Amino acid sequence: MKDREIVVENLVKAYPGKVTAVDGVNFRVDEGKIFGFLGPNGAGKSTTVKILTTLALPTSGHVTVGGYDVVSQATDVRRVAGVALQDVGIDPLMKSMELLVLQGRLFGASKADATSRAKELLDLVNLSDVADRRAGTYSGGMRRRLDLAMALVHQPRVLFLDEPTTGLDPASRRDVWREVRRLNRELGITIFLTTQYLEEADELADTVAIIVAGKIVSEGSPASLKAAMGEESINLVFATPELAEQGRSTLAQMSDRIQLDRETVRLYLSKAAGAIPSVITQLQNVQLAPVSLTLTQPTLDDVFLQVTGQRLIASEAIKSKNSRSQRRQEVN
Amino acid sequence: MTTKALELPVSHPAENKPISLPVHIFLLVVRSLTTLLRTPEALLPPVAISIFFLVIYQSTLGKAASFIPGIGGSYLGFILPLSIVSGSLSGSGIAAQNLVRDIERGYFDKLLLTPVRRAALLLAPILAGAVILGIQAAIVVGVGLILGLKPATGFLGLLAVIGLGVLLGIGFSGFTVSAALGSGSAAATQGASFLFFPLTFLAPTFVPLALLSGWLEVAAKINPITYVLEAMRALLNTGWDGKAIGTAILACLVLAVAMYALAAFALHVRTRRV
Repeated sequence: MKDREIVVENLVKAYPGKVTAVDGVNFRVDEGKIFGFLGPNGAGKSTTVKILTTLALPTSGHVTVGGYDVVSQATDVRRVAGVALQDVGIDPLMKSMELLVLQGRLFGASKADATSRAKELLDLVNLSDVADRRAGTYSGGMRRRLDLAMALVHQPRVLFLDEPTTGLDPASRRDVWREVRRLNRELGITIFLTTQYLEEADELADTVAIIVAGKIVSEGSPASLKAAMGEESINLVFATPELAEQGRSTLAQMSDRIQLDRETVRLYLSKAAGAIPSVITQLQNVQLAPVSLTLTQPTLDDVFLQVTGQRLIASEAIKSKNSRSQRRQEVN
Repeated sequence: MTTKALELPVSHPAENKPISLPVHIFLLVVRSLTTLLRTPEALLPPVAISIFFLVIYQSTLGKAASFIPGIGGSYLGFILPLSIVSGSLSGSGIAAQNLVRDIERGYFDKLLLTPVRRAALLLAPILAGAVILGIQAAIVVGVGLILGLKPATGFLGLLAVIGLGVLLGIGFSGFTVSAALGSGSAAATQGASFLFFPLTFLAPTFVPLALLSGWLEVAAKINPITYVLEAMRALLNTGWDGKAIGTAILACLVLAVAMYALAAFALHVRTRRV
């Protein structure tokens, strides 16, 4: 029995008179891996987390966390799993030190042990300076980090993070990501993470599963999911549509797929980056110079669009994702 | 960001021995009291209202009351129990407000994810509320002493009066806590506390029980508040009355048992995994 695994077999959660929230989900999170559960609101992510963390019962199926059955061994699951739910569950009137010590003592630690553990964790999430301030005075990012610390009090082997960065500003989001990666790398904690941000899954997860309407529609490493999408594109912008048309005819033999859209030419290729020198050479041969050249790699958003037929509504994430994935290369 | 490495425990956490219920209750009572004392705005109104009515009743009715037969001592000794009882009723919402805040903030769910004993989740806010009720009643009694109260049973009698007030409040807390667990909403919980308000008047509130008649007499006789008022009045105005005190304690216990059955059911529904 591997004590840091999550195994989910044929998980179904049906609410009487409503749609089936989780509809035959199977997956496995290996020891020490980060698993990203990606989907839009209402796809079944939070329901799955609730079942995996013993807050809800499955209608059918079999789930073990750290080797314990979530239905029949719920107390054992609670002892080995750390959970940070989507809504940060902290009492704003309490100080972070008090919250962490109480949490530790509820798990059976002595006062001294709980206190030293609390100090260690406040240090870890960088809240030592504000340990004696009420949690209600913290910023969203600080509350999220405190919540993360509370989930770690009992030294869990498996950590569940339900949309850990929803509502955070980009800087706080990166802080949380750094923590998550560190917990995984340094402590070997297996992490199950739900998110509606493609960028987040891409950044953190070893394996991503896309869930839509209660079913997993795609699963694999971010790289393999993107690779399955196939092609990257080279985007060339010319000064005028006429020059763009000349560019299109010049490059037409390089790819089966070439698109002209006003001043922009898009050339789809499986290894676009390697083809850039040849594209430039060919354009120079006919004395054409594009105004700009960008390279677009398929993103998880494209994967999502292909498998679900819809885009995720997470404008903020999409914006920053685009700026990351387009490596601008000014020519001329 | 520091980069301190943390060690995973060698021992298997699941093998830790379960923590006893009293320890969990103690930890959560301390925590409830901590947060209650940080919200004085919720604690002060019940006691302020109790003192306000005590002073008003004493000032406006104190002299006229000598015409009411059966008061059996000072009017202050007659009316102070009403003040304590109404404080117990309005104060009974404190435990529930504390609980509903946890539910609304998600902290209750956080607690459910720990191995905390479920009964502690119910008993801790109520016991913390009882401590507050005791303090409130003591303040009201203190104000009574300042106004010239001379209890027939002395200091011990005053403790008994406070104890009865707390006991009654605990019973009513069972109801407001049920409302908190059942609704998960602060507004509904607040509403539930107001339901008791009329009960204060379906009792020998301003005149002795013997002067009530008809439907009001019937209502007063099934109202536990009646017996608490009678016992408190005996303690303050006439002396130790074992029968009255026994009846009052019994009335409080009947109320508490009924309300706790309800609260236990509400807790079960709230924490049941579906």
